[in-house]
Amino acid sequence: MSGLLIDAAVQPFCRDGREIYDYMDEVNRDRGFPDVESQWYQAPGGDYDESLYGKGYPGSDPEIASRHLFEDDGVDVAILNPRTRGNLPDFQLNTAVCSASNRWLAHRWLDEGNPHGRFRGTIRVNPEDVPGSVAEIERWGDHPLMVQVGVPLQSRDLYGRPRFYPIWAAAAEAGLPICISTNGGAGLEYPPTPTGHARTYSQYIAFMAYNYVYHLLNILTEPLFKEVPGAVFVFSDGGAEQLTPFIWKLDTLWLGVRDQTPWVDRPPSEYLKDHVRLGFSRLDKPPGDSVPIVDWLAQTGKEDVVMYASNYPFWWRNHPDDLYEGTTKEQTEKVRWRNAGEVYRGVTAEAA
Amino acid sequence: MQVRQPINKGARRSAREYVVCRQEDLPPGRMVIAPVGKFGVGVYNVHGILYAINNYCPHMGGPLCSGNVYGTNLWDDVRGRAEHVLDGRIARCPWHAWEIDVATGVSVADARKRTRTYDVRVENGEVVLTR
Ligand code: FES
Repeated sequence: MSGLLIDAAVQPFCRDGREIYDYMDEVNRDRGFPDVESQWYQAPGGDYDESLYGKGYPGSDPEIASRHLFEDDGVDVAILNPRTRGNLPDFQLNTAVCSASNRWLAHRWLDEGNPHGRFRGTIRVNPEDVPGSVAEIERWGDHPLMVQVGVPLQSRDLYGRPRFYPIWAAAAEAGLPICISTNGGAGLEYPPTPTGHARTYSQYIAFMAYNYVYHLLNILTEPLFKEVPGAVFVFSDGGAEQLTPFIWKLDTLWLGVRDQTPWVDRPPSEYLKDHVRLGFSRLDKPPGDSVPIVDWLAQTGKEDVVMYASNYPFWWRNHPDDLYEGTTKEQTEKVRWRNAGEVYRGVTAEAA
Repeated sequence: MQVRQPINKGARRSAREYVVCRQEDLPPGRMVIAPVGKFGVGVYNVHGILYAINNYCPHMGGPLCSGNVYGTNLWDDVRGRAEHVLDGRIARCPWHAWEIDVATGVSVADARKRTRTYDVRVENGEVVLTR
């Protein structure tokens, strides 16, 4: 059906809390740091799909994950993006954890666990350590299966700010988009909403992904694309339903106050196709058939930025068929692989 | 229509021409609205050069010429920085702040949006507008 299927958001995990220590550098190997499961907000029965708990954490065995993704769901290429426990107060330790994650991913998932060659990886970097991030991108940028750079959605500053540009420039130089995704709960971070902490899990999960809007509005109004014209940002947790109201407002305001941000020399919405991608999951769609999906996707160019994102192995994960009912053939192809193929290097080679 | 500047007391000269005011009444940096057409026409002296635009905003028809006059900021790709340019040439609509270049009638943000311009000249010490 409609060619390839690229899954833009799969979270691989270590088998247990100890596994990552084997990949830590010697200086940091004896340090303690939080486990991935230490989130404040817990899904009912755990964060991950119940059927996936086996010997280790769900999503921790490349063979089982391969079976679920490639055989059961018909995915052709899966982009793996590990969690790295958010912004640890010790930024050097945080950089070491990111380095360990990259060594672990390259070894366990992109080499050992990748006989079919369908896994792609994410170079995790710590935005609180700009030179450390640049060095990490330089170290892994040539790896043929690393296809993006990953940073936490929960940052201490908006990602359009100039202090981050050296990281974005290094990523652009290597031909890698920057994926901004939820990755925290254990480190330094602001509360998930402007009025503080959510009380319940549903409150948290319904709102959390929308924090991308703050980054997006900032990215589109700072001189970022003048300074780093090749930068591409992927918000893999989705939130596409918020794109139309906010980009419409931004365009409208820009017409009146454009002189305050003269580097934005076209309507902000015109930057989206070249510079922004959003993960697309069933939680992002309008409820039921309340709105014709064809029109919904076409509105403000959502169809040019959304990419299929299963969020495997989380419990709200998608199956591919959840997403295309009622879309045009062209929209289906964009969601399944074309939009991802435009930003991720080498992922559509199998299309030939 | 209510406008901040007093409607200038000019005189119709012919079916096509209108005497807006005397030249000395429109020094550099000043603007007068001539009661021409349905909405009036703003006549601007920008550093000694005269321009005239319809007092009708291409956005939603606001009284464009009753707003303030500014320059604007544009990105200079060669220098890699913002520059303040077109000083005194940008009419800012009082309704939603669109910027219109009075020399061309064109919106700075969206070149497809424009308001009508008029020929204006000085003849025998008088500012003459052609409709
Ligand atoms: S009417 Fe002039 S800016 Fe809206």
